[in-house]
Amino acid sequence: MTQQLEIDELRNKSTRHLWMHNRDWITMAEEGEPMIAVEGEGVRIIDADGRSYIDVNGGYNSVNVGYGRQEIADAAYEQMTQLSYFPYGTTTEPTALLARKLAQMTPGSLSRVFPVSGGSEANETALKIALAYHRRRGDSRRYKVISRIGSYHGTTAGVLWLGGTQETQRDDFEPARPGMVYAPPPSAYHSPVSGETDSECAVRCAQAIEDLIKFEGPETVAAVIAEPVAIPLGAVVPGDEYWPMLRDICDRYGVLLIADEVINGFGRTGRMFAVEHWGVVPDIMSVAKGVISSYLPMAATIATEEVAGVFAGEEDYLRHVLTASGHPVSAAASLKNIEIIESEGMVENSAAVGAYCKEQLEAMMGDHPSIGDVRGLGLLMAIELVKDRETKAPFDPSDRVADRLNESFKKNGLILRVGGPIIHVGPPLCITKEEVDEIVHAIDLSLWELEGDLGMAQYA
Amino acid sequence: MGWLSMPDNTTTTISRGPEARQAALDHLWMHNRSWATDAESGRPPIITSGNGVHVTDAEGREWMDVNGGYMCVNIGYGRHELADAMREQMSKLVYFPQGTTTEPLIELASKLSDITPGNLDRSWPVTGGSEANETAIKIARAYHRRRGEAGRYKIISRVGSYHGALGATMWLGGDGGREDYEPAFPGMLYAPQPDSYNSPIPGETDSEAAVRCAQAIEDLIKFHGPSSVAAVIAEPVSSSMGAAVPGDEYWPLLRQICDRYGVILIADEVITGFGRTGTMFALEHWNITPDIMTMAKGITSSYVPLANAIVTDEVADVFAGSDNIFKQALTFGGHPVTAAVALKNIEIMETEGLVDNSAEIGAHILGRLNDLAAEHPMIGNVRGRGLLIGVELVADRDTKTRFPKDVQLGNRLSDAFEAESLILRCGDDRIGIGPSLCITETEADELVNRLDRAITKVERGLPS
Repeated sequence: MTQQLEIDELRNKSTRHLWMHNRDWITMAEEGEPMIAVEGEGVRIIDADGRSYIDVNGGYNSVNVGYGRQEIADAAYEQMTQLSYFPYGTTTEPTALLARKLAQMTPGSLSRVFPVSGGSEANETALKIALAYHRRRGDSRRYKVISRIGSYHGTTAGVLWLGGTQETQRDDFEPARPGMVYAPPPSAYHSPVSGETDSECAVRCAQAIEDLIKFEGPETVAAVIAEPVAIPLGAVVPGDEYWPMLRDICDRYGVLLIADEVINGFGRTGRMFAVEHWGVVPDIMSVAKGVISSYLPMAATIATEEVAGVFAGEEDYLRHVLTASGHPVSAAASLKNIEIIESEGMVENSAAVGAYCKEQLEAMMGDHPSIGDVRGLGLLMAIELVKDRETKAPFDPSDRVADRLNESFKKNGLILRVGGPIIHVGPPLCITKEEVDEIVHAIDLSLWELEGDLGMAQYA
Repeated sequence: MGWLSMPDNTTTTISRGPEARQAALDHLWMHNRSWATDAESGRPPIITSGNGVHVTDAEGREWMDVNGGYMCVNIGYGRHELADAMREQMSKLVYFPQGTTTEPLIELASKLSDITPGNLDRSWPVTGGSEANETAIKIARAYHRRRGEAGRYKIISRVGSYHGALGATMWLGGDGGREDYEPAFPGMLYAPQPDSYNSPIPGETDSEAAVRCAQAIEDLIKFHGPSSVAAVIAEPVSSSMGAAVPGDEYWPLLRQICDRYGVILIADEVITGFGRTGTMFALEHWNITPDIMTMAKGITSSYVPLANAIVTDEVADVFAGSDNIFKQALTFGGHPVTAAVALKNIEIMETEGLVDNSAEIGAHILGRLNDLAAEHPMIGNVRGRGLLIGVELVADRDTKTRFPKDVQLGNRLSDAFEAESLILRCGDDRIGIGPSLCITETEADELVNRLDRAITKVERGLPS
């Protein structure tokens, strides 16, 4: 009883003083929210009321090694007891060794690491490097950045205007950053061309980027930024032609190619970095989340030798400072995290269990007419829900699909994000096939309920 | 990875220092440094341990860190209680699923509501000062739009101020050097800095500068049209301008002007917060409550990355209700481990009286530096509040002429400070002093004595 009062008091303080991500404190107070998480182990968390859930999104697709790895806590602790921060103009052993490790792990000549503390900061830093790179080379008219509709690259002002969907609702923050140019998403499922294959879609969408560069004028375009597998539209895996073509096009017009591996990186798609699927080396790569499995804030922007080279001289340094950049405690935790990913074969597990999970989800399509498409790579997957599979007609807002599913998933023991018509699946990479079976079973139950409630004809 | 668990710290540092330095030169992009130049000069120093205001490098040499990191290690280095708090939370729960929150974060939001002035009540936690100010600007613009004033998007900042390095905040304030990143963010307006010493009007008092510079903000609002202005952002005491303390009229006038024209007042307490100026927050010196306050650095003493934007009930209220949600998410915003560290850090600040110590030792250092000014003609002005202190460097005290660039005064001084085992980088025009708040009077005297010797040495070597 006392404990329940304490929990209620905590919830009260939360709705009174805390501004949570995309949540409304009035509704939460009415509904006895928010859930307060108190413990975590592997893919599971326990809340203050003692209930256990599988966190199917592993935080924000970010707890790659899973919850509860004491080794990372120990590494961070040991570093903090030695040195918690660094004086201006100096650095520390874990920061330097992490930079070397990232340079070794990343493809090709990616070799110079600017550590920051979040994915938005990493992409902001990538764009600043790209703009400054062109200016140093006497190409100072290049300032435009091409991103794709349906992508997400962050929330601070330099990256907020990249990508986006109709649901992004950025009008609160107008006017936009200058120089934003938008290309179509390489998603055959969402293509305006009916019956388009992944390959056809990939070629069309890469060609669209070349057309944009020519239309805007190559001398005005600084960079193209893209996630190898895009998340907001639901784990969109482009056809195999896409990334090699992007690389060719960027080379042809002197445009820098930025790969946003904030979610994709560190095993999420079954390779250490997702661009490895297509053998492409970007000029700049941004990483976050999985670099430290979210045990502490850490992210990084990594540039090739060719790009970094223009900033090497005494007068040529990049003008950019962030207090938490290169934090030794985060770096020590990150090194241990990467060691766990490598030594426990988590990248391979992501590929194997991801493929198994995708098969199971695809098998459910026979039972559930509400599933329009299942797609993804490794443990980055999505289920797209539709009212009619043939016409791909979406549900009506009045169907409240996301609300119904969120409630029903919770009841069935899952914390699982439904954004618009898409169920996003991205569990910790330590997940087992048995745990996948649990998740699939719970999704199955929830979809039966949904389809029943909405009176959809069910395949028996 | 063996270096983490090596028992003997001395052998660790001697064996790993060169390797770490080479790794840094090959692969690390350090703040405003050239790796080619660093390679020639045996840099960067690799720091391996810290205690109070001191750090030790991989060669075993002890340094006094005069600016406590980036004026951010407020409680000082080496407090194991924070490491304990971190490990305890990390052992229970390292992160949180979407749509949920955690106990340390709730307790921190509640604590911040208690210790900030007035009705600053609702916290949006982020990971760094830039993100906090970016969030503040987004809140300000969205606030006006929700109230049907979508035309308000311009932001007024002051020349010479610093508010961050990201897409919008890098264009606030500033002192040049950002042509690399043009075109600028739309809607940036610039007001003068309330610094009587560097005023264009000879003989102007602090009060006169305060009134003139506040008036300039009102003039900007009227010129551009109040219906186009979203916010004014300012640090209570600007560290990037050498800790010039505005006259007492300034902040009350800013508050009145913002109220008069419906403009949001954002106080950037990223550096000044958590005791830096001798009060918990610097605006307490003038009893002002801003509409939004940002904080970072001292909130965890930089033991882990954490920052925050806190807003008044009036501002937060327009975002209440399921149709009015503020659209923003940051993966590391609201991290439970960093919140647990912040709670312990604030507890230490409060129980050990570090805010009062900042006021006392700060006043002591200011007094000693003013004594030094009598002996060193290059000291044009000494100013500051608490342990946020600036020294203005001039070639001629009467005309306030600065040293010519080719004298390279900043490099000369930085080298002399290094010889005195002070970690203190300075430019040609000013020295910034902002040590950890745990500094003792003995350490403060030692600091000033070393500054004295270094400045004397540089003076003797200057071209006549």
